[in-house]
Amino acid sequence: MNYFRNARLSTKLFLSMLLVTSVIFVTITLVTFSIVRDLTLNSQKEKASLLIDTVNPAVSLSLFLGLNDLGEKLSTITHRDEVVELQILDIHGKILLNYRQHSPLKSSQMINVTENLVEPSSLKPIGSITLTYSGEEFTQTMNRFYTLYAWIGISIFSILWLMILWINRLLLPITLIAHKVRNYKPGTKITFDLPYTQREFTHISHSFEVMQESVIKYSQEIESINKNLEMKIAEQTHKATRHLYYDNLTSLPNRIKLQEDLLENPTNTVAILNIDDFKEINDFFGIDAGDWLLTQIAHWLNEMKFKPYRIGGDEFAFRLKEGQSHIEFQYEIENLLLSLNERLFMIADETVHVRATVGIAIDSSKPLIHADVALNKARSMKRPYAIYDRSEGIEQQYQTNIAMSAQIRQALVEHRIVCQYQPIVSSKSGAIEKFETLVRIQNEDGSLIPPYDFLPIAQKTKLYHHITQEVVYQACNLFASRQEQFSINLSGSDILDHRTVMTIENILRQTGTADRIIFEILESEGIENFEEVAIFITRMKALGAKIAIDDFGTGYSNFENILKLNVDILKIDGSLIKSIDLNPRNRIVVEAIVDFAHKIGIDTVAEFVASEEILQHVKDLNITYAQGFHTGKPQFLNQ
Amino acid sequence: MEVLMRIIAILLITVYLAFASDPLVINAHVRMLPKIMALDTRLSSKTDTSKKIFAVVYDGNQKSEAQSIADAINKTHNGKVSTLLFNAISLSANELVDRRDIAFVYVVQKSNPKSLKKIAAWGVENSIPTFSYDVADLEYGILGSIAIERTSIIYINKKNLKEGKYHFDEALYQIARFVE
Repeated sequence: MNYFRNARLSTKLFLSMLLVTSVIFVTITLVTFSIVRDLTLNSQKEKASLLIDTVNPAVSLSLFLGLNDLGEKLSTITHRDEVVELQILDIHGKILLNYRQHSPLKSSQMINVTENLVEPSSLKPIGSITLTYSGEEFTQTMNRFYTLYAWIGISIFSILWLMILWINRLLLPITLIAHKVRNYKPGTKITFDLPYTQREFTHISHSFEVMQESVIKYSQEIESINKNLEMKIAEQTHKATRHLYYDNLTSLPNRIKLQEDLLENPTNTVAILNIDDFKEINDFFGIDAGDWLLTQIAHWLNEMKFKPYRIGGDEFAFRLKEGQSHIEFQYEIENLLLSLNERLFMIADETVHVRATVGIAIDSSKPLIHADVALNKARSMKRPYAIYDRSEGIEQQYQTNIAMSAQIRQALVEHRIVCQYQPIVSSKSGAIEKFETLVRIQNEDGSLIPPYDFLPIAQKTKLYHHITQEVVYQACNLFASRQEQFSINLSGSDILDHRTVMTIENILRQTGTADRIIFEILESEGIENFEEVAIFITRMKALGAKIAIDDFGTGYSNFENILKLNVDILKIDGSLIKSIDLNPRNRIVVEAIVDFAHKIGIDTVAEFVASEEILQHVKDLNITYAQGFHTGKPQFLNQ
Repeated sequence: MEVLMRIIAILLITVYLAFASDPLVINAHVRMLPKIMALDTRLSSKTDTSKKIFAVVYDGNQKSEAQSIADAINKTHNGKVSTLLFNAISLSANELVDRRDIAFVYVVQKSNPKSLKKIAAWGVENSIPTFSYDVADLEYGILGSIAIERTSIIYINKKNLKEGKYHFDEALYQIARFVE
């Protein structure tokens, strides 16, 4: 069935015609055969019947009359060749006559016809006559019929075969057209040279030619569109590449381009230049002015033939030039910094003096990282430039910081942030009246990590607020069941963090410790974020909490701010206390602070009271409370 | 004398045989003639009686012979041929011509020609088939006779057949031999 479905049209036509013709031919042949056979057979039977009818009356009468001359009566038909056998039986089945002329041919069909012999008057049966008639004529007729139809069949199928040849030839143009169309490619033109003209094929070829013209036109349009698209893609690719590898503001190659360029060599010498205090310039002149300044600097660096890259907001990078030695590169960087110091840039008719710090990595496998480390080193050392030195272990410090950050995170998850409490005693009575909460990380082995090892890192990794909230939670829950006051240190970022402040308020309400908690704030935080700190103090005081200024006396202590902030306690910086017995100047400063505190009616706390001598001085100076290893070491407290 | 006696005896026997009926022929006639009567297609319209009369006609002193033949016919056919009921009787020629109920006539041997003609004329006039023992009697107008030759052969007088307007089954005509 699939073969027929996929067959050629000529094959389908031939098979269809063959099938139809075969069915018709076979049907006609069978019907004709049946008719001819029946007609011939009936005709032979008729002849046989006629023969019997010829002799039947005489034989009947002879039989009726008892005449013994049946053979004579039958002589009129028995001489005929067609009569093979003749038999007469009486009514009882007794054979009265049995005539056989010759043995019939086996291939010939015999026709037997039997008629009754009746009495002439009463028509009563008195016997029967059976004639065996030769079917030779019938066989001959049928043979002629078979021969005739064999010839007709051969003729019909010969005609069919000729027709298929003719159909094949008729459909040849379709094959030619299909072959040409199959090999057609846009842009080429095909012509249909048909072997003969037939209207249908002319229509098809004409249609193909029209379609071909449309395809050619369409191809040209597509080609034109493709060219435009390719141009636009190339343009966009160029733009994307430029956007990827070049800085939009300065048109300098960017960090990605630098990284790719650095891949050309296993080690590289790179310098990173960072504009000092660029944030201040931005804040002062505005971002647009800052961008304009960066553009001028980039232009200037180009003029200086440094082939700079812009790798960050205010950072540029340079590579060692080909054929240049490290000493020459370092010398060139020094000259660059000197030139930059002398150079004046213009921002809106204002001259701006720009300074920069440079970090240099020489023959480094990680030049950008190492140059950045060197830059940080130069900044911390307040030097114009620094060269990365592996032996200084700065990288190891970074690794330590990363590990500590992970350790803090783990400690928070595993609740290994713990608090110790250092007693704050009354100078007069020596009784413990307050505790300062001091945070630690408890290692898995039970050892403690002091706060100065992890708090700076926590502040840079945004974990600090979580630690503060944990400390407040633990301390408040502890002192909820105790009577003492307790203090907790807060950083400026804690106070600025709305969520942390909300959490603190909630904990205070839940534990009911607001009237015994003291928040220790660095004086510097109050100066830098005065308004926010003032709001926080107001909110906490409204709950009943007290505020202490920690490490007072260092830096630029501002008594006016203290008054404005309405604090309750001044914690005098330990650096003043620990040498108070040796340094008269420190004693004078402490006396001034205590005097100021007394006059405004607030308490003072002396930190770092490490000896009896110092405690005596604290008492002599009328400092309200003493805190230090001498009066009480940090310890774990129970509820 | 003895030889003469023997010659006289032979002559008497020869004369007897010459005038005596052939039993083979008689026997054939006894068997066949009632059937030929039955082949008369107008038989039922000729007599009103349901039992047809088969007349064995004699002449002179042949009554006993005629009667024996009639008896033989009755005995052979038991009064019935096919569906036809009949009775065979012996009649003299004179008795015959007065009868109107006769269906078939059979004339015994050695009737004189005058009687034969009379019987034949009567038969033609009444369309009653007349058969005789001797085929030679057809010369006197008798309708038919059955001769025993190689086989039994029915002879029919063609002229008489036409004049008497006899109607027999067609088959009879096929097997009979017509004489002019």
